[in-house]
Amino acid sequence: MENAVDRGNREGLVGWLNPARYGWERFSYWLQRLTGVGLLAYFVGHIYETSSLTQGPDAWAAMLELTQTPMGHLILLLVIGMSTFHSVNGIRLIFAHGGKGLGKPGRPDYPYDAVSLNYKQKSGIWVALILAAVAMLYGASVLFGGE
Amino acid sequence: MAMLKESQIMKIHYVTAIGALIVVAVHIMMRIIMPYSMSLEYGNVIANYHNIPYAILLESILVLIAIHGFNGLRVILLELRQSKAWEDGVTILTIVAMMAVVAYGTRTILVAQGLGFE
Repeated sequence: MENAVDRGNREGLVGWLNPARYGWERFSYWLQRLTGVGLLAYFVGHIYETSSLTQGPDAWAAMLELTQTPMGHLILLLVIGMSTFHSVNGIRLIFAHGGKGLGKPGRPDYPYDAVSLNYKQKSGIWVALILAAVAMLYGASVLFGGE
Repeated sequence: MAMLKESQIMKIHYVTAIGALIVVAVHIMMRIIMPYSMSLEYGNVIANYHNIPYAILLESILVLIAIHGFNGLRVILLELRQSKAWEDGVTILTIVAMMAVVAYGTRTILVAQGLGFE
């Protein structure tokens, strides 16, 4: 008999990225993970970037020349969008994991829509996406606004 | 390799998320209370590091995001594949990476604190 502890996840990354099976919530699921990985990469890069401070003003200026470019600003805009979505959707998930906003369990009737995947959860995902877009617009006004 | 239960780790994950949200908000405010490009001038940034409460805030950002981020990465990697060796390897790797990032960032904060500012 196969040891349950050592059982492999046969779908792996393909199963993780498949948005078709679980609907809108699956989209939110992998967007939360993709933004999380993206933000972790930015965090590590940001720590490396700021470490140039310790080498004096010239090293700092050289690093700014590399990052304070239109491409650097576009990456920063993406980071703003990712961090806003990740934060707002993360708050939704904290509530959901605590059982808030999931509704009461009901009899599974056709077409077997889960009660937990209700309009509150769906609107939470939309709010996260809309706030991310608003934050990106504000970020663009600061980064490209010429201040 | 199970020093903490997953439920306890998830509580840490959520607490660090909320903590990070607050301190990062303050960090971003510090960049936009003056024109963005001016806030990035060497003198201004070093002055930030010389401000002890702000340096503590930076250290807390570093620790909270490192814990939250690398635990998030651990969760993603454990979702992809499950076996004793994989789970132990992923846990050790993410803890080591987290400690390395915190150590490197702390070094920057400490050295920048000691730099002269005219």
